[in-house]
Amino acid sequence: MVNDLILDVHDLKKAYDGVDVLKGIGFSLKKGETKVLIGPSGSGKSTLLRCINYLTTPDAGCIKLNGEEVLDTNIDAMRARMGFVFQDFNLFSHLTVLDNVRICQIKVKGKDKASATERAHQELERVGLADRAEAYPAELSGGQQQRVSIARALAMDPDVLLFDEPTSALDPELTGEVTKVMQQLAKEGMTMVVVTHEMSFARQAADEIIFMEHGYIVEQGAPDFMFNQSTHERTRAFLNVIAEHG
Amino acid sequence: MNIYDVLIRDFPFLLKGLGVAIVLLAALLLIGFVLGMAICLIQLYGPKSRLVQWPLKAYERIFRGIPIIIMLFIFYYGISGVWDISAFGAAILAMGLRSAAYQSQIFRSAFQSVPAGQMMAARAMGMSKLSAIRHIMFPQAARHAIGPWTNEFSSEIKETSLAYVIGVVELTRQAHYIITSTQGNVLTVFAVVALLYFILNRAGNSLLYAFERKLAVPGFEK
Repeated sequence: MVNDLILDVHDLKKAYDGVDVLKGIGFSLKKGETKVLIGPSGSGKSTLLRCINYLTTPDAGCIKLNGEEVLDTNIDAMRARMGFVFQDFNLFSHLTVLDNVRICQIKVKGKDKASATERAHQELERVGLADRAEAYPAELSGGQQQRVSIARALAMDPDVLLFDEPTSALDPELTGEVTKVMQQLAKEGMTMVVVTHEMSFARQAADEIIFMEHGYIVEQGAPDFMFNQSTHERTRAFLNVIAEHG
Repeated sequence: MNIYDVLIRDFPFLLKGLGVAIVLLAALLLIGFVLGMAICLIQLYGPKSRLVQWPLKAYERIFRGIPIIIMLFIFYYGISGVWDISAFGAAILAMGLRSAAYQSQIFRSAFQSVPAGQMMAARAMGMSKLSAIRHIMFPQAARHAIGPWTNEFSSEIKETSLAYVIGVVELTRQAHYIITSTQGNVLTVFAVVALLYFILNRAGNSLLYAFERKLAVPGFEK
């Protein structure tokens, strides 16, 4: 049972300037699972995600990736095994699409150029951008940039993919092209943690939805349960508001 | 003495002076580049400890706050008292160290104008800090730096003429020699010298501009 746990987060705590943002968060992820983190702004979702790969250093708690603890000392190696997709894409602006997907394979994983190139083309194909390999990020739409950044993460063969509000900077049409790719990944058995406000994605792709507020996990469960039988008033209220506006 | 004499008879001396000025320029820019980049990287990515940062800040402030002529005198007379240094060596050192102070700030603001998300993304992919600086931050910062660096290049060309005060036989001093040895026409000689500085300046600027265009990434500037 422990063996197929990809990600195990235990009692994670983080405070900024004396304000507790995470007050002891724990959850785990099995291979092939997709968990969606939802909650109001300021509930700590993004901080949680950033603590998992130490973009933000947690104050306390323990994170294990495939049974191995994530520490300051092994963080580069651990990060190489956790893909991270940012809200504002953060593609390397001086590099072509192809080089964006290639560079970390070469500089981090030490792959040779030929095999990195082949893999990059495969992943670009997967996100539907095989024909834009020579373009620069600024020449792409937001949706295309986000798909490139997913390809960039996938090319590293990550054990888990972390998505930090991947569609929040996109209009509804572009959001659709990104969530479509993410749903496909979920179906293909990628292990993912997704912070999002896209409830249709959560409903269709999540194995479990985790509702956070004020630095705690309020409730978690399968989408059906969360949307229809939630026992917490806060969860229901939040989902109702989202349903009205989303 | 007319323009003909200056152009034909004395021109080789001026060219020799120009050569010295160019070597001085190249050397001081190189010292300034290497040292300035090091200062910038330590200021931005090095230990935050005051023990490290304070001396760098002091260095940068001192070298930017003192006239270069005074700096040339201090270096030449100061160092030659204890160590046999030529005027040329002293000029390279003084001007190089000062250029480092300026260049460090050019590079610093260039690095700072690269969005923070670039570093974050590189680190999130597992790149070490050094690798991220080298492969992600530097290429972008370099593009931002070329414009301001061209200004530094232009002013250093002109300021090589100040090395004349400690006896470096560069272009301006050659001009002076020609004038005194031939009782020549001051205005003609200096007009030719001015033209040489101007051509060197324009040539350098054009090269740097071409370089900037060549490195331009679609949609990157702005």
